[in-house]
Amino acid sequence: MLRNLKLVVVLMVFSLTFPLFAQGQSDTAPQKEIELRWASIWVGNDSKAPAVEALVADYNAKNAGKIKVVVEPQPDYNAYEQKVRTSLAAGQAPADIFTIKFNPTTATFYGSKLLMDFSTTMDSDWKATFDAGSLQQSTVDGMLKSLPMETAILPLWYNMDAFNKAGVTTLPKTLDEMFADFDKVKAIGMAPTSQMTGDTNAWTSMIWFSHFAVAFGGTDVWSKPFTDPAFVQAATLIKKMITEYSTADAVGLGAGGSGGHFLAGRTAVFSNGPWYAGRADLAATPFFSSIKIAGLPAAGPTTDFMISRLQANICAASSKDKAKEAAILDFMKYLTSPASITKIAETSGAMFAIKTDYVPKQELQKQFYTAANSAKTTAFDLEAAMGSEVTLEFAQQLGALALGKITPEEFCSLVDRKIER
Amino acid sequence: MQAVGTRNSRVWAGRILFLLPVSLFFIFFFIYPFLFTLATSFTNWRGIGSMKFNGLANYKKLLLDPTFRKALINNIIWALSQGFIQVPLACLIAMILVRKPKGWRFLRTAYYLPNVISTVALAMVWVAIYNVNGPLNAILGVFGMEPKNWLGNPDTALFSVIFQTVIYIGYFMIILLASAMNISRSLYEAAEIDGASTIQQEIHITLPMLRGPLVTTMTLAMAYGMRHFESTFLMTGGGPAYATTTMGIDLYLKMDALRYSEASTAGVFLILMGTVVITVLRKLLGKSDPMSEMAQ
Repeated sequence: MLRNLKLVVVLMVFSLTFPLFAQGQSDTAPQKEIELRWASIWVGNDSKAPAVEALVADYNAKNAGKIKVVVEPQPDYNAYEQKVRTSLAAGQAPADIFTIKFNPTTATFYGSKLLMDFSTTMDSDWKATFDAGSLQQSTVDGMLKSLPMETAILPLWYNMDAFNKAGVTTLPKTLDEMFADFDKVKAIGMAPTSQMTGDTNAWTSMIWFSHFAVAFGGTDVWSKPFTDPAFVQAATLIKKMITEYSTADAVGLGAGGSGGHFLAGRTAVFSNGPWYAGRADLAATPFFSSIKIAGLPAAGPTTDFMISRLQANICAASSKDKAKEAAILDFMKYLTSPASITKIAETSGAMFAIKTDYVPKQELQKQFYTAANSAKTTAFDLEAAMGSEVTLEFAQQLGALALGKITPEEFCSLVDRKIER
Repeated sequence: MQAVGTRNSRVWAGRILFLLPVSLFFIFFFIYPFLFTLATSFTNWRGIGSMKFNGLANYKKLLLDPTFRKALINNIIWALSQGFIQVPLACLIAMILVRKPKGWRFLRTAYYLPNVISTVALAMVWVAIYNVNGPLNAILGVFGMEPKNWLGNPDTALFSVIFQTVIYIGYFMIILLASAMNISRSLYEAAEIDGASTIQQEIHITLPMLRGPLVTTMTLAMAYGMRHFESTFLMTGGGPAYATTTMGIDLYLKMDALRYSEASTAGVFLILMGTVVITVLRKLLGKSDPMSEMAQ
């Protein structure tokens, strides 16, 4: 009996400790092929997924026996962001290659030694392929621990079929014209805009607010205190947009609901990035071909600007293994090459921080490129400029503002207290 | 004598062997994380980089934070509503079903069913029900009531989120029903002979006999209320204006903003508050709890 017991104990200890030794063996075993794990968000229904999959297959075929890139699909972006955060906090890189949404909160990742610093490994030829402004925005204290990959402009989307039904045939040029047009849209029983206060960033309303704030406060508005009159004016206008020119469920509504209203033709104006243009459900709408993309009509001293952001920066895990580091750099160069980016842009309509000669053929995508190129200047949106904590406070207090529980001045003060100075 | 000693050591080896797996899990998945959380709550750790000891700064900041105070109050409301609304309702249904009315088996399954359905799916259903254009407002409209944005208004949001948990009473009902079924029928027969009505039988026999399971279910319900997160996060994200936020949501959002040490402090508070609430509850209700009598 005691012998059996000892045997059971030995087996249990062995089964518990065996995986530790088994894991260790892979490091010491001779490596024929370097395997790179890429935790990719461009999978599943993402508009970039088919092109990215083809590029990885092509790279693996060309490097057969030497380097193999294995895509670890991350279809849920929020869960993926959590994974990146917790992995880095636990002292492990989430994968050999992974993406982040670059903003002041995620810039904290630059303090981690787990991330490769491209400022020391990037040659001038490779550097020249990137948009200089985006590279500079991605540099923190001289470190370049993420490469700007996907960028975005966040314009306003007009369903011109709805506008035509309301007797409006041209886009508004001033704020007064815009509100007059919205009144006409309301008169035909349609909500003029898709607004929302839900989720952690009140996404579509946050875009509108960013447009207003930059229009009144200039492209450097985000460096001013949130109690600045420009923000108070922007808060007053966003309240008006939610209470008078949106759907009745805007307070508390999430991004899915806000986008859903536009797709279902319940609202006439929407706000989002170029990735939304590649959606199949948008292409299936009867008004798809009538959509017009534009910036905010002249509202304040700053005009002809566009709200933009670094949508996805790509990171790599630092490695003491020189061969692996070289493999990572080789794949990163391949992925960010103008040829690869052109292929992804062709099928997705997304915009990138890598310079290419690509000119979109699809009408809606073409409008995005035109809007980006015709803007005199660009400015970040609230989330990209201030980080997740300030944006969360903005979203939480936006509902109270819309319901008249707080004044625009109080709203701005509440958001201001979350800004780290 | 030696044989007795060998037998004793065998018995102990067996006990240790049985306790070892669960003890290891408890140490790795509770004791270690708790100690780590406690240690980081006294630092300025942001998840990345080194930790610097900063004393009680996080605790002071947290207590002065109006959002956290709101979360704390909401958690207490949650705990009380779970313990003193959900459990009594579950008890009432258990008392009805134990008398095996027609269709009681179906009702037992129906009441328990929401507990096996995904919280995410049910939360989405409730978001649709509470929508301005949803079925709840449509029904209320029949009675001439104006449609309300139930989850979008800070005055109604917390009540709306708490109300939907009523569908989960089946979990507590099953525990109470199982206990009620074990009460000897002879007690009821004797009461009937003495002329006691059904209500008198429930008050003077069922409820006293269920005191132990009631304390247990109330403890479970209030513990759930103190650590509540899922459905509120899914339905409102803690908004609007933090009207529905809880300590769990506050902790999550602090981690989201890479404020790990502050999140740890919120975690320590969460554990402390949970312990206080449960201890007080058991002190108040546990005097006649058969479980506590057995422990003495």
